[in-house]
Amino acid sequence: MGALDALKGFKVTFKQIFEPRVTSSYPDEKRPKPPRFHGRHVLNRYEDGMEKCIGCELCAGVCPADCIYVRGADNPPDHPVSPGERYGFVYEINYLRCIHCDLCVEACPTQAITESKLFEFSFTDRNDAIYTKAELVVRDDGKPQQLPWEDWREGDDLLTSGWMRATSPAGVADQEGRRHWSGELGYGSRAPERGQSGLDPAEASPSLELRKEEAAKIPVRFGGRAR
Amino acid sequence: MTTPSPSPSPSGAAEVGGGAAQAGASGAAAGDSGAAPQEVTITLDGREVAARPGELLIAAAERAGVYIPRFCYHPRMRQVGMCRMCLVEVKGPRGFSLQPACFQPVANGMEVRTESPAVKKAQDGVLEFLLVNHPLDCPVCDKGGECPLQDQTLTFGPGETRFVEEKRHWSKPIPVSSLVELDRERCIQCDRCTRFAKEVAGDPFITFQGRGDHTEVNTFPDRPFASYFSGNTVQICPVGALTASAYRFKARPWDLEQVESTCTTCALGCRMVVQSSSGEVVRHLGVDDEAVNHSWLCDKGRFAFEASTAPSRRTHPLLRSDARLRPVSWQVALSEVAGRLRAVLATDGPGAVGVLGGARLTNEDAYAWAKLAKAVIGTDSVDAQLDDGLPAELVAGLPPATIADACAAKVLLFLGPDPREELPVLFLRLRGAVRDHGLDLVELSPVDTSLTDLARASLRYRPGQLVDLVRQLLGSLPPANPAVAAARDRLVAGGGEGVVVALGRSSIAESEEQTVAAAGLLRRMLPGATFLPLLRRGNVRGALDAGLAPGLLPGRQRLADGGAFATAWGGLPGAPGRGARALLEAAATGQVRALFLLGADPLSDFPDRSLARRALEAVELVVSVEAHPNASSEHVDVVLPAAAPSERAGTTTNCEGRLSPVGQKVVAPGLAWPDWAIAVELAAALGADLGFASPADIVAERARLAPLFAGVTSAVLAGTVGRMGALLPLRGRGPDGELGEWPAGATGGLERLDPMAVPGIASVESQGAPSEAGVVRAAGPVVAAPVGGRMAAGDDGPAALLSWEPPEALPATPPVDAYSLRLVAARRCYDGGTAVQASPSLAALAASPALRAHPSELERLGVASGTKVAVRAAPGRLELVLEADAGVPKGVAVLGAVPPAADAPGASALVRAGDPVTEIRLETLEAG
Repeated sequence: MGALDALKGFKVTFKQIFEPRVTSSYPDEKRPKPPRFHGRHVLNRYEDGMEKCIGCELCAGVCPADCIYVRGADNPPDHPVSPGERYGFVYEINYLRCIHCDLCVEACPTQAITESKLFEFSFTDRNDAIYTKAELVVRDDGKPQQLPWEDWREGDDLLTSGWMRATSPAGVADQEGRRHWSGELGYGSRAPERGQSGLDPAEASPSLELRKEEAAKIPVRFGGRAR
Repeated sequence: MTTPSPSPSPSGAAEVGGGAAQAGASGAAAGDSGAAPQEVTITLDGREVAARPGELLIAAAERAGVYIPRFCYHPRMRQVGMCRMCLVEVKGPRGFSLQPACFQPVANGMEVRTESPAVKKAQDGVLEFLLVNHPLDCPVCDKGGECPLQDQTLTFGPGETRFVEEKRHWSKPIPVSSLVELDRERCIQCDRCTRFAKEVAGDPFITFQGRGDHTEVNTFPDRPFASYFSGNTVQICPVGALTASAYRFKARPWDLEQVESTCTTCALGCRMVVQSSSGEVVRHLGVDDEAVNHSWLCDKGRFAFEASTAPSRRTHPLLRSDARLRPVSWQVALSEVAGRLRAVLATDGPGAVGVLGGARLTNEDAYAWAKLAKAVIGTDSVDAQLDDGLPAELVAGLPPATIADACAAKVLLFLGPDPREELPVLFLRLRGAVRDHGLDLVELSPVDTSLTDLARASLRYRPGQLVDLVRQLLGSLPPANPAVAAARDRLVAGGGEGVVVALGRSSIAESEEQTVAAAGLLRRMLPGATFLPLLRRGNVRGALDAGLAPGLLPGRQRLADGGAFATAWGGLPGAPGRGARALLEAAATGQVRALFLLGADPLSDFPDRSLARRALEAVELVVSVEAHPNASSEHVDVVLPAAAPSERAGTTTNCEGRLSPVGQKVVAPGLAWPDWAIAVELAAALGADLGFASPADIVAERARLAPLFAGVTSAVLAGTVGRMGALLPLRGRGPDGELGEWPAGATGGLERLDPMAVPGIASVESQGAPSEAGVVRAAGPVVAAPVGGRMAAGDDGPAALLSWEPPEALPATPPVDAYSLRLVAARRCYDGGTAVQASPSLAALAASPALRAHPSELERLGVASGTKVAVRAAPGRLELVLEADAGVPKGVAVLGAVPPAADAPGASALVRAGDPVTEIRLETLEAG
């Protein structure tokens, strides 16, 4: 026991006094959100204004909270809503149920549904909590609509459609150098990310190269290349 | 799916030995023979499993729990080996080699490998090739989520393709008929739809065209896929190439719910599942029932569900005031009916009240209405048929035959309406029986029908001369021609043992006396023959069995023998009541003052339109319990809205007497009630208590009082019998201790379905696209019903039959008038019936009525086909388009019984009720 022992106990405290402060005075001041933040959804459109949603209901099927309701319909031939045969005729998300897990975004085959970084929206009416297509579809400039009860901050509406999947259709997590979304309205594009899996491509899962290698092992009489 | 009977494969080629030759429809015979089928043993993936001789490897493996992927193989069609997906390794003299399992009958000691590297490699390759031109537009495709191609690619296929070139493109969906859309890009050329159209339906209107990668399925130019069975191609398509326009983008498989049910569009009772999404029925799919429909449905049964959400649907009780039907509350409607009914009963007694119809009801509903009519109101003037069927005592009194019996008969004497028009799936069954084992079909008909090409002998008779032809066939008259003589020799051999008579009314322009007399002759002269009644309308057999017929009580009991009912019901009508014709005649003369219509539309369906109109106009109180408005609605005073099919649960009885369940999937719209509840409330308004708080109470009382329904308790209905259906009365106990009729060798009855036979059912059962799709997880909803044999005479247990005495005197043959044509009036599949007209998909298919006659008749008249002529008959005159049809004999003319538009001229405007035949004369119209 020495005289300095008391100070020793404050070692961490003193050290932290000179560190930069991390506490922010929310809600006056807000911290920047990470690029993959899961906030309120948007329904994206293509550059020509057509909706990306094709009403396939995969988002509704995968939703663990059962908060999405979709109905598809035939595209009217003279005024098509989306490219192709089918469009989302009804699209509703109940935000009293949504847990922002983003499985809908993973499931969407056309990147129609993505998430903005807005999470501060509270309602005084339960009906306001059910967002319909009229509220979810992006504006003509490609940015999300801003509803009266939503607290949008700078940057919340950027890169909303530039979301990148955690998985790829072939199950390859390594997305290096790939951009999976198409040209679209507004603020979509983001630079491709570095590889995510960190695995050797050969270990990840069957790829084109891997199948070529496999074919080399299969005897010619079975259609392979091995002699 | 596989069935308890021997191999369901219709192929004769694959069958080995005599024992297996009874496959398919002749399951009953196999059950009777008692000889256990010989077994062979094969080695499947190193494990010894038993198989039936002649069975295909793919089916044997599936029963052993090994699922071999497949696209083209369908258990109800001939195998073609088109898709190569079912390649497995089979050991031969030179070691293992790849063989298609759907083309390989099992043999004793066969060694099979289904999971070897070579098999996997083959499956990878096949799927990669099948996907070369497949557009992979699964998110947009109606099949996505229940697609065999999708599921099997995930389970058995390679993860990626080496193919990077542009895919083949066709224009996206093209309508091949007004019910079916074709997307040729998605097609994998499995030959299922084309095989179905050619082999099963006999409507080869779609076929392969082109070569190589330009092979496409398509219709012939300007020839739509006009088949009554086109919906089945959608049901069996293993990809989304064929989709139903009625289901287009309506739902995805994972938001569907389903319940097993029975179609009540006609009296055949096809088993099906009803699928709904968001509280709306969106699809019917056929369930594979060995006894009835072999997984097929007709388009009418498949798409008529649209009627239940039609805008014209009755949703509120209506009361006529100021000449208009206005919505009122149930209380107002019921007290109005009760008050006016009491007034009628007080002045004229129960004989002045009649009840018509009831074929739309479930058995339980019909029982409640029978009790209301016979015990509470006290009238016996109740008829579920509108003088267009067979007498109830004849239906219940002839020795019964099942559909399977008819298909396996030594000789099938078909004496009734065109089955393709009235009982469409029965046509498929008969066609299959002729195709697969050469059923000896003898058809008696006034005109060419769909059976004419299939029958070994198709014998024509002029309307009114049926009895003469039957007497020639039975040898009491000399045969008119060699064809009759040949048919006679086959028919009478052995006292008619093995002969099945399919008996119905081929035309409503004739009275029933010829048909009844013919049935009596056949019954007397062919004591061994059994009879399959061909009745019109959904649950008409069930309604008759529930006592909705004059002189009968529930359970095929005569009014006079109903002691148990008299006690339990507190009184029965004193005297037998009137049938439909007598009832309407009495109504027209003011003797009947109150009439209940249980879904009946006398103005359209009764053979004599003018009598029906006079009767409806004369009756003071017409109460219609209906789901849809119909032609008779303008004469109705009170409308009580009733629940439609899929909106209430219960049972139904098909024309062979098979009890099967109807399921409830959605709730009735508005204030519509199930019919039994309407009967109970109406009885309460009359101050009586029917004693029913739920259909279960009805089931319990019926099992207690009606001998035919002995053992049909709620518990039995909730079990296998309720799920699979059974012939009444129940006899014997099945393997799980339940009452029912069981084929020899049945093991529990329930068998798993082939998930690729009707892909839509299995996928909804497993909810969502499973990673191991194609593997049946639990006993699915699809089961094979036991194949019912015929009821043995002298069997213990309740009496199955009424005693029916055939009439002794033969009806006089009406003399032929050389200047007249005899009218044949029969229903068409798509006509002015309520269900068709209220279904948008089907209404447009109903053809406009035209009179068809032999070309020489047109020559004689000096008019061209398609000319409008005047038609004169006893009740009146009509102007109709006359068309030449070589299939109509000279001296006969054909007209649809129920025309599409309510006010269009139909045959009933030319028929006088009770006339033995309807003579019509044609006259040219004055020019201009």
